[in-house]
Amino acid sequence: MSKDEAAPVSAAESLRLIEAQRDAAVRSLSPDPRLIYWPWGLAWLIGFGLLFLRHGPHERVRVNMPNELPLATLFALMIIAFLVSGVAGARANRQISGDSSLRGLRYGLSWLAGFAGNAVICAHFSNLLPPPEVGLLWSATSVGLVGVLYLAGSATWQSRDLFVLGIWLTISNIAGVLAGPGWHSLVISVAGGGGLLVAGFVVWLRWRHHP
Amino acid sequence: MTAPVPELDPVIHAQARLRVVAALSVLREGDQMAFPRLQELLGLTGGNLSVHLRKLEDAEYIVVTKTHHGRTPTTLLCLSRRGRLAFDEYTAALRALLDPAGSEETP
Repeated sequence: MSKDEAAPVSAAESLRLIEAQRDAAVRSLSPDPRLIYWPWGLAWLIGFGLLFLRHGPHERVRVNMPNELPLATLFALMIIAFLVSGVAGARANRQISGDSSLRGLRYGLSWLAGFAGNAVICAHFSNLLPPPEVGLLWSATSVGLVGVLYLAGSATWQSRDLFVLGIWLTISNIAGVLAGPGWHSLVISVAGGGGLLVAGFVVWLRWRHHP
Repeated sequence: MTAPVPELDPVIHAQARLRVVAALSVLREGDQMAFPRLQELLGLTGGNLSVHLRKLEDAEYIVVTKTHHGRTPTTLLCLSRRGRLAFDEYTAALRALLDPAGSEETP
């Protein structure tokens, strides 16, 4: 009788075998949360941080740097975050087919549809507002959309973590808008970017010790 | 005094098949895993895995779907309803073996 065909020696060993195999499968089938959350958290922390320093409240310049540098940095870091999290997600889902793929596709398209519509609306109103308000319009509607999409994701994937994160980003965004242009960047940098970093750490702890 | 030993499902009660079923039990309902991914996850040779999958398929514990991804033939695998039930019953039987008193209290 080969080793494969052999039964585990004891019931306890059998249970351990089951748990070890399920752990390995869960860790393989879901991406490392650090690769999903941290690149976005860093992009927001640094990008919005630079926006606050260059385009602060009442158009105050705290740190002198080229006018377009903060936004260029934010977009560059977001492209990197998109690539890193996208590759990690695709690796976890490779050779898996079925309902999850369709769910993931529709969720991805929701982001595309949301941001396409949002860009058209913001562009339309941008000429009518003074520059600080234009910046607030774009970032507040974008962050608001991210919060709502996380909430929708929490319903799609039955994820409590995403729900908490969605609520947190929505509240931070509202607080930032009420505080006004410039302050919004600071709130999103610290609470938004920081929130994403903390969320990545918390979810990673659980992922690593999957029961 | 000997505790009554619950009968363990012989189809699953072999290390390799137990690992196959445990790995597939993690898939979300409605999802399937391709053969090479399962092979990679378990670290078994293709031939060995095929033998065990055949036995699980004969017992109707897994659903095997042969399809084409472009021009490459692909084999997709998932637990059947029956297989999931057998796995749940098997783990419950193990727990009962380890703690006969505790298992009587839990419904």
